[in-house]
Amino acid sequence: MIEKEVTVTNRAGLHTRPASMIVRTASQFQSEFFIQKDGYEINGKSIIGVMTLAAEQGATLTLVFEGSDEQEALVAMEAIFEDGFGEVK
Amino acid sequence: MMDSQKTSEEGTVSKGIGVSPGIAIGPAYLYARVSFDVEAQAVDPEKIEHEKQRFEDAVRKAERDLHKIIAVTREKLGEDSATIFEAQLMMLRDQAMYPEVIAFIESKGINAGYAVQSVMSKHRQVMEASDSEYLRERSNDLLDIQDRIIRHLRRGRILSAVDENSIVIAENLTAADIILFSRRGILGCAMDFGGPTSHVSIMARALGVPAIVSTHNATSKVSTGDLVVVDGIRGELIVNPDEDTLAAYRVKQERYARLQQQDRQLMDLPSETLDGHSIELQANLELREEIPLLEENGAKGIGLFRTEMLLLMEGRALVTEEEQALEYSKVIDAVTPHTTTFRVLDLGGDKLLPMGHREHNPFLGWRGIRIMLDKPELLVPQLKAILRASAKGPTRILLPMVTQISEVRRFKEVWADTMDTLTREGVPFDSDIPVGVMVEVPSVALQARLFAEEVDFFSIGTNDLTQYVLAVDRGNDMVAEIYDELHPAVLQLIRMTCDAAHAVGIPVSLCGELATNLRAVPVLLGLGVDTLSASPVYLPAIKRVIRAMKRTEGEGLAERALVSSDPEEFRGFMDRWLEEHACGVSFFLEGPAD
Repeated sequence: MIEKEVTVTNRAGLHTRPASMIVRTASQFQSEFFIQKDGYEINGKSIIGVMTLAAEQGATLTLVFEGSDEQEALVAMEAIFEDGFGEVK
Repeated sequence: MMDSQKTSEEGTVSKGIGVSPGIAIGPAYLYARVSFDVEAQAVDPEKIEHEKQRFEDAVRKAERDLHKIIAVTREKLGEDSATIFEAQLMMLRDQAMYPEVIAFIESKGINAGYAVQSVMSKHRQVMEASDSEYLRERSNDLLDIQDRIIRHLRRGRILSAVDENSIVIAENLTAADIILFSRRGILGCAMDFGGPTSHVSIMARALGVPAIVSTHNATSKVSTGDLVVVDGIRGELIVNPDEDTLAAYRVKQERYARLQQQDRQLMDLPSETLDGHSIELQANLELREEIPLLEENGAKGIGLFRTEMLLLMEGRALVTEEEQALEYSKVIDAVTPHTTTFRVLDLGGDKLLPMGHREHNPFLGWRGIRIMLDKPELLVPQLKAILRASAKGPTRILLPMVTQISEVRRFKEVWADTMDTLTREGVPFDSDIPVGVMVEVPSVALQARLFAEEVDFFSIGTNDLTQYVLAVDRGNDMVAEIYDELHPAVLQLIRMTCDAAHAVGIPVSLCGELATNLRAVPVLLGLGVDTLSASPVYLPAIKRVIRAMKRTEGEGLAERALVSSDPEEFRGFMDRWLEEHACGVSFFLEGPAD
């Protein structure tokens, strides 16, 4: 299992579109994927789950991966967070 | 009962904004959002499997709806607009939705509709607790999904089932609703809310469905089955008209159909007055997908490309320079050899600020070029994107909400620096893009000569200009009566703008709603406006007026308008003038039915 802290950098936060990007990216990997925020944990392969995080710009999230391809999954996920989901920061 | 009260009103008229021209006459279908309260009903243990199957069937139908919506949205509005529906499609089989509903039905022995509602409202509550208003609003996506499933559960079969050949009356519709309805052959629609530049309005125009938005009270005046008329030209909804009114509208409907046929012949004829003066006709646009409407309606280029849509689409905070450049290139490519005029992002005022900034008096606040000059991180990428795209064909750039000459000068510094950067990067672009300003604040019209020396063209925005000159908020019903785009004070400022522009040899375009008011067209020509820019569907009617008049006549009418002290009298005078001169346009006029 690996964990990594990331920050939401895009201005609009994790709304519907970024949430669908996260789920689509996670679904390309075997590993299970969870996101933790303020003691709340959701399944990162659920778009509704990600949306209910209601993570705003600046929010800190912990990404948790568990599975055979967890390392690759983390790299891919970090990249879309860093890119701010292709939106303005 | 409320319904009987509603139907007792005969011939009532609701005034709204016509966003897709045409006349529709038919039975109303009142389309309401499913209420949240599906009642809990116990399901017999042996019927549980059946209830789960009903849920599966409803999800499958919702999936089919969404596939259709995605396909049409992609085709008409582009991939970006479709993403939101792709996300909704994912939600249907989401782990936090599908299995939870199934488990709920099984463990509680309860009906599917109630289970869907319970599961979804639990998720929505979490989202609605967010501090961010924007994220709170996204819970609407969950509500859309919930409604869609419940609607299918209730109706047993078929989509957002509206009656065929009906006129849909709703508080608010989405572009997706219109797509599904148009496939059911609806005749027209009227909404309580919404604006002319919303997705649903654009979609109604693209699909040719007569539509009115912003009626405030349509849903409270109409019941399903009432005979209604949607006049998408005047922006009026008439409920249970008497026989004379109905007959008049049937005539109007026929005339409109005939005119549309004639318009096809008009398409290739020049926009020229009887005494040989050419008036350029251009289109106001916000989405690339509307470009086919240019040729159909005889537009020679884009006089106003609003870039806010790109920015605010689906709530995305802002697209990147690359995405903008690609989008602008496609627009220019499709419009060449004609010119495309891009307006710099015009935020603030009545438009949402993505940075969540709030003001007491936004119309006199941080908006337009003021924001852009303060926010180079928004301005510079847009300028680079426009410059990069300009290699594709003729391009102009337009600055919104300018009030001071210093703003033009500051902009030009940024503009020159941006060109330097691109030159260093070896990126090809047009280094002679004309830079113009919107004339929508009285200060610019009053100092038009000063501005004319430093810019390449003017574009008059009559909506804001009228608001600022007459100090009236046209959205405020208490004072909306005072709002008069043909007020002599407004016309005086238009004349000053034209005179100053022509003294130094730059052109004047007018891109406000006034251009679509046919009473105003002869007056505007008389004042010296060179180009009229409007939503493409209005251009054929404007051309018909232009081709039926002499410019010298316009000059005389302008003189009369400038000294008019009775707006009613002047409107009546222009109506008669149009009736005499431009056969067949009188019913196109705005204003309440007489």
